[in-house]
Amino acid sequence: MGYEWDFAVVLRDSDLLLLGLVNTLKVTILALVFGVPLGLGAALLRLSSNRLVRGLVGFLIEFFRSTPPIVQLFWFFFALPLLTGIEISPFGASVLTFSIQSSAFFAEVFRGGIVSIERGQWDAAKAIGMTRNQTLARIILPQAVTRMIPAFLERVIELMKTTTLVATVSYADLLYQANNIAQSTFRPLEVYTVAAVMYFAVLFPTSLGVRRLERHLARSGATTAH
Amino acid sequence: MGEVLRVENLHKSFGPNHVLKGIDLTVEKGQAVVLIGASGSGKSTLLRCVNFMEIPSDGRVWLNGEAVGRERNGKTEYREHSLIPIRTHVGMVFQHFNLFPHMTARQNVMEGPRTVLRLTRATCVKRAEKYLAKVGLSDKFDAYPAHLSGGQQQRVAIARALAMEPQLMLFDEVTSALDPELVGEVLRTLKDLASEGMTMVVVTHELGFAYSVADKVVFLHEGRIHEQGTPDEILVRPSQTRTRDFLRGHATFRLPEAQF
Ligand SMILES: Nc1ncnc2c1ncn2[C@@H]1O[C@H](COP(=O)(O)OP(=O)(O)OP(=O)(O)O)[C@@H](O)[C@H]1O
Ligand SMILES: [Mg+2]
Repeated sequence: MGYEWDFAVVLRDSDLLLLGLVNTLKVTILALVFGVPLGLGAALLRLSSNRLVRGLVGFLIEFFRSTPPIVQLFWFFFALPLLTGIEISPFGASVLTFSIQSSAFFAEVFRGGIVSIERGQWDAAKAIGMTRNQTLARIILPQAVTRMIPAFLERVIELMKTTTLVATVSYADLLYQANNIAQSTFRPLEVYTVAAVMYFAVLFPTSLGVRRLERHLARSGATTAH
Repeated sequence: MGEVLRVENLHKSFGPNHVLKGIDLTVEKGQAVVLIGASGSGKSTLLRCVNFMEIPSDGRVWLNGEAVGRERNGKTEYREHSLIPIRTHVGMVFQHFNLFPHMTARQNVMEGPRTVLRLTRATCVKRAEKYLAKVGLSDKFDAYPAHLSGGQQQRVAIARALAMEPQLMLFDEVTSALDPELVGEVLRTLKDLASEGMTMVVVTHELGFAYSVADKVVFLHEGRIHEQGTPDEILVRPSQTRTRDFLRGHATFRLPEAQF
């Protein structure tokens, strides 16, 4: 029983799929643009000398790491408007959710990088009169960031995969577009195959890049793995 | 001669661990004071209290005649921002060098003058090169720490501290992490500094060095100064049994021909 593959219908709608991919990348990139600085801020607060701040931020980070991202997305899309009275677009809810969600993970990546730097570096900076902030900015973070790159990129790949959830709130990402086209053409096999290939085409080279970078950093001794 | 450092009744505890139990010590301008004592006797802690990397639990510290911290209701208060100038005036070099690995030798030495003293870039470059030359590393300006030997790294660390042009230098076992054949070059640097009149407090197990360089040797035992005096008095004719026991543990120390 041979199945007649027919990619023609998919190719006809390829612009819709491409638009979907662009939308997926848009959410991913914006989540990074907001999530990375937010994650750094959270990491610094988590390392603060104030016990209360440390505890509170630690709890928030754990909360976002330990709840399913789809629940967070639904909460921001359906529940938050009830609370604030402000309607939020699927796009807005998606960016908001994934910025916060990924920042919780990036916070842990940053924290891991920062605490991996030996105490002696803090001592040396302090001994020449540097403040805590100067030490972080000029001595600790530049070293921590090199060590963090592999773990960081790993998270970026995870993030892009998780953004497929935005289809559930009708944001026109790649998966959402694929769903629509599959339904209108009755060609789910071809459509989802192409969609999978498109994700793969973006993520696989990234993965390869991460692995190469990891090997390179391991050789140069700049990474302590993650 | 002025007093660069004066420590009175200094105490330091870490939780229940009472490490320093009332230290009194003065260091005159141009003096090299060598601090000896068993592991755990509090040598590092004393140095770290002098540049306020650690805050003393009790007692008082004067630098160049000025008391550090403010007296308030019978307690001494130390504000972090008021301790920054203290640290810039007191240089410290560590056992493990602690160079900044992502910076070249020149950048390591420039960092303090640039970030803390906020001198112009050109001034900092000049200073960095001057002090690197001083420790014999004119050919290593652009080398990263990973490409330097232990002895060279330690000399960069010394240049980094000197570039702040401190009034007092603290050396905490700066040769203990070095291969034996590299110890000499670092000790020679210290000796040169001492002969140029740098005021310094040196923690070391190199008793030959202590004998030939120190103006005063201080033996620390269980958080107290057990005995102090000239190198001859402490290293050759110690009056206390504990000092004698400590010295006996250093079998390699031969007097007075110890040279390097
Ligand atoms: N930051 C700290 N927190 C808690 N305890 C500390 C700290 N620093 C030092 N101590 C304790 O203080 C005591 C003295 O330590 P210190 O490092 O001053 O000794 P030392 O004479 O320098 O010894 P060594 O020759 O091994 O370097 C030790 O018992 C040590 O455990
Ligand atoms: Mg010590």
